[in-house]
Amino acid sequence: MLPAGASARGSAAKIVFRFLVVSLLVAAALIGVWSFIAPVYTKAVALPARVLLRWVESPNVSVLEVRDAELWVYRIVGPGKVAPFVWFDRYTFFILIPFLALLMATPGLGWARRVARLAIGVVALWCGHAVHLAVSLQLSYAATGLAVSGPFLGRALTLWQVGTRLLWEAAPIAIWIGLTRAPWRKALRTCREGARPCRVDSEPIPAGG
Amino acid sequence: MSAGKGAVLRAWRGVKKTPWGLGLGAACVAGILMWLVGNEGAIGWVQYVLARATSGILNVLGHRTVVADHTVWSRDFGITVIAACTGIFPIGLFLLAVTAYPTRWRSKLVGFGLGIGGITGLNIVRLVSLYYIGVHLPQFLDSAHQLVWQSLLIVLAVTLWLLWAGRWGHASCRS
Repeated sequence: MLPAGASARGSAAKIVFRFLVVSLLVAAALIGVWSFIAPVYTKAVALPARVLLRWVESPNVSVLEVRDAELWVYRIVGPGKVAPFVWFDRYTFFILIPFLALLMATPGLGWARRVARLAIGVVALWCGHAVHLAVSLQLSYAATGLAVSGPFLGRALTLWQVGTRLLWEAAPIAIWIGLTRAPWRKALRTCREGARPCRVDSEPIPAGG
Repeated sequence: MSAGKGAVLRAWRGVKKTPWGLGLGAACVAGILMWLVGNEGAIGWVQYVLARATSGILNVLGHRTVVADHTVWSRDFGITVIAACTGIFPIGLFLLAVTAYPTRWRSKLVGFGLGIGGITGLNIVRLVSLYYIGVHLPQFLDSAHQLVWQSLLIVLAVTLWLLWAGRWGHASCRS
């Protein structure tokens, strides 16, 4: 007979393995339909990004245009004149795929809770993407000398760019952890406590985990 | 040990188990990561090592590749390992998550090894597979590079972290 600890570890590994298989399947399905998702999501991100740019730029010099799933950024260079500045390809917002896959595969969530968390997560990520777009554009303007950067930003521009990139990468994982901490704790705790037969159910989870 | 040093150590032991202590540790890891990415010499060395490892594996598999700067070349195809391709961000996030997780430092060290070794290993597999895709199925290279492998790397890194948390993360309960 296996010691209790070993059995608990085996149960936890089973849960994680099931999570891996489901998340890979969901990711594969989403990759298959990415060409349909990407244009809609890119358009959706461009909407609040335009509002943010109007708010942070004085005067507002950035013009965003969505072409299929690509996002083109132009700069106003004169009366009625724009010049292309940068473009984001169709894979820019790919992070939506692993994010949705992780949420769909998280154990211990009933359908209602899962759908609610999916909705909250997608809205949070959408806001994060719009903010990132506006901030990274301003940093690019500063890096290319198109915007005046104060001494604080000027000295640490690389640091700001790396920090923004880090937040960009971390945001979906952070949102996923925030939304699924309680079910994961419950699932892994159930496995540890006395190595009981490990079954992840969909019981309501108390607020605050 | 002097009384002052003992008091500092006691205070540190008290702080390191609190959310503030864990947050401080995570902030330090984030700082190191930001320094590493911003430092061309350091990140360039990582790029070179990855290019060498990829080229070594491809040569073992029968390809004649050479490394020039950060690029793996052959007669058929070439791939350049840029800073974003080093896996530095997934590794950094993994280390942040391990640091912020409330468990013993010994367990965290295991997590650091697992994260750096595991994700770097996966990244080398990714680079080798991208070379093959570039040679045999170049029309799929873009989506394999930007969509499939990026998603796969994140899902696998999260799974690795969950395995670590399930296996070693509860060590604090026993200590």
